[in-house]
Amino acid sequence: MPAKQLEASVRQEPGGAVLDLRGEINGFAPQEALDAAYAEAEAKDPEAILLNFEGVDYIDSTGIFLITRLLAKARASKRRLLAYGLSDHYVEIFDITRLSDFVSVFPDEESALSEASVS
Amino acid sequence: VTAPRSGARRNLADFTLPSVPGNERRAMEEVATAVSGLGLPERTLERLKTAVAEATMNAMEHGNRYNPEVPVKIQVWRLEECLLVRIVDRGGAPPPSPNAELPDLEAKLEGAQSPRGWGLFLIKNMVDEMRVSGNPDHHTIELVINLKREDDAG
Repeated sequence: MPAKQLEASVRQEPGGAVLDLRGEINGFAPQEALDAAYAEAEAKDPEAILLNFEGVDYIDSTGIFLITRLLAKARASKRRLLAYGLSDHYVEIFDITRLSDFVSVFPDEESALSEASVS
Repeated sequence: VTAPRSGARRNLADFTLPSVPGNERRAMEEVATAVSGLGLPERTLERLKTAVAEATMNAMEHGNRYNPEVPVKIQVWRLEECLLVRIVDRGGAPPPSPNAELPDLEAKLEGAQSPRGWGLFLIKNMVDEMRVSGNPDHHTIELVINLKREDDAG
């Protein structure tokens, strides 16, 4: 089964920068591309960055490591990190790893942006 | 590798995979296909798939050093009250300790703990029981899903 390599792009929304993720977040994910996309998301100094997982169909332990790195960057710059579009299974994994203690998880973009806008 | 002895048992799958990055996805899908007739709840199936993928990745990486000529062996057994997935590599080093330091996200964020090290933790949390054993020739990890409880829940 060929891996669907991670792709990341950024768009600016009124509530914050949205990092659209597509593919698999695993050992095949190009860390540099993820870092570059995150840097682009930070460029306009948003209060919040939203991770859009709607296009992500697989996350493994290396993916958890990569998401933790993004969280560490967000904390270092006192920026909120929000997530949406996770399947129930990955919401559970966010809970088990305690990522959800630090990354607010929402079902969709509308609710995530709404939360980002009011905070 | 010997067959489990307890109770009525049925072998659902028995296959090997070369130790090549990405083959954990093949292991995951083949195990999912093997158990498709058991009617596992979706949540249980997703948890099993993650556990199998992580355990296979560990076996290929740490056990077989990603040597494509050294296979990982995977067996799936339907026992009387549980589902057993057994993953065997040919690592010679001591098997990973199931009691290794628990990953602590806060410590990882503060740099006090390696940012990696989620695999074994995920496996343990995805199944009802995880057993690790080994000898100088191989490591074995067994993943157990209690089917009785699934029946009761369903």
